[in-house]
Amino acid sequence: MSLLEIEDVDKSYGDEEVLHDVSLAMDQRDVDVIVGPSGSGKSTLLRCVNRLTEVDDGAIYLDGEEIHGMDENDLRRRVGMVFQDFNLFAHRSALGNVTLGLTEVLELSETEAKSRAEEFLGRVGLADQADSYPSQLSGGQKQRVGIARALAMDPDLLLFDEPTSALDPELIGEVLAVMEDLAEGGMTMLCVTHEMGFARSAASTITFLDGGRIVERGPPEQLFETPEKERTRTFLGQLTDLNR
Amino acid sequence: MAVAAPADLAAVLQTGDWAFVLGNWRVLLLGAVVTVVLMATSLTLGFLAGFPAGAVEAYGSGWTKELVSTAGVVLRGTPIVVLIVLFFFGIPVPKLGSVPVVDVRLSAFLAATLALGLRSGAYQSQVFRGAIQSIDEGQLEAARSVGLTHRQAVRHVIFPQAVRRSVPGFQNEFTIVLKDTSVAFAIGLAELLTRAENLYLQPGRDTAIMEVIIVISAVYFVLTFATNRTLDYLGDAFSIPEGSE
Ligand SMILES: Nc1ncnc2c1ncn2[C@@H]1O[C@H](COP(=O)(O)OP(=O)(O)OP(=O)(O)O)[C@@H](O)[C@H]1O
Ligand SMILES: [Mg+2]
Repeated sequence: MSLLEIEDVDKSYGDEEVLHDVSLAMDQRDVDVIVGPSGSGKSTLLRCVNRLTEVDDGAIYLDGEEIHGMDENDLRRRVGMVFQDFNLFAHRSALGNVTLGLTEVLELSETEAKSRAEEFLGRVGLADQADSYPSQLSGGQKQRVGIARALAMDPDLLLFDEPTSALDPELIGEVLAVMEDLAEGGMTMLCVTHEMGFARSAASTITFLDGGRIVERGPPEQLFETPEKERTRTFLGQLTDLNR
Repeated sequence: MAVAAPADLAAVLQTGDWAFVLGNWRVLLLGAVVTVVLMATSLTLGFLAGFPAGAVEAYGSGWTKELVSTAGVVLRGTPIVVLIVLFFFGIPVPKLGSVPVVDVRLSAFLAATLALGLRSGAYQSQVFRGAIQSIDEGQLEAARSVGLTHRQAVRHVIFPQAVRRSVPGFQNEFTIVLKDTSVAFAIGLAELLTRAENLYLQPGRDTAIMEVIIVISAVYFVLTFATNRTLDYLGDAFSIPEGSE
């Protein structure tokens, strides 16, 4: 059984159809990379998976369970999300960003939460920044705190929405390194990213989304080397050039 | 005329109207105490009413929100003197007697607290609502994304940031309430301005009007300044650390 199954999902905002008949399935330990032009519905698709947005039609299953029937907070505990703009809690230290979910959602004691948060900050290489506030961190550090915050909840699946596109070029590497580590460690990840190096090295599948429809989906070698659609070749070609 | 030498100044202060004002310092001090206490009770009531009202205006819906925002509009749209007089004469306040030393009628004090407090609540609610709405949407989404309920997210992520952002607005509101306590003069509450007036209305003391008014202006100024400084201090003490490593 797939860990995540998205089945014929439709989503419109007003008259604008943002997702049309989108279907995909991911197994445990899969790393799926979604690419597509601006406005193609990538963020919307991710947000449907943790129900920040509700689908109009179709269904999404997590571990065989239809997410619509689940308690949304429980779903979100199991599906972590990493944002383009980090969205760190501005009034809490790096440590406090990680502990909030631990104490409020997992109901760990302060001490347990603290030691667990320290462990996860250590895992993203920020053990020494635990007491820093978001405004005192670089973009790359902020994003790594964002990853630690999601990771500490012990999710079944992590969603990444363009985690590096707000970063200065020299800071992208440190975030991608953490993501590559996670992928190697067997974390199931659904990533919207235009980092083609990451896609080549870490992705099990690449999905090309355009105008709310899946144009093509397959293993990286196939999409990069022998795409079925000319549009896929052009788009991935442009991205690869951009990444150089 | 040259600037008075210290000796002359002392002489001036010992004669005539200045001497009269300074001789009555206890009266004015008690007035200042009443003013400060009235400010404190009004602001407390204002906060207790305004904080939830702001939250309801930001997050509520239906008739509760309607009710709260209408009450706010009415309170903000009515002159404060009218409110005080209305509360004093319009509401059947039980005869409560008066506080001995400061000579304050409790019914007047209660009416002034209600009027100043509820009106301040109406303004504080707007300060707080604005602060809540200025917090980036992403903060709430991030909190929801780790599994916090809406209520938990608002309590642990939105409110703590909104309260900090409210400090400048609260500062404004605090000084306005402090100065508006003088309006209780309209119902004869023995606060600073009322007592000041009682001084110069004594027979033959109308020459001391300027002196009395200058002194109480200075008192209001000092109180305002102290209030602002206190809030500055609190704002700094609880501010979110910034700056780069
Ligand atoms: N809350 C919303 N209300 C109305 N329209 C929306 C909303 N969210 C997204 N849209 C619209 O849906 C379309 C898809 O948006 P989405 O954010 O999913 O695209 P995207 O592929 O993530 O784009 P980008 O690369 O710019 O992030 C866009 O046209 C956008 O304007
Ligand atoms: Mg997007």
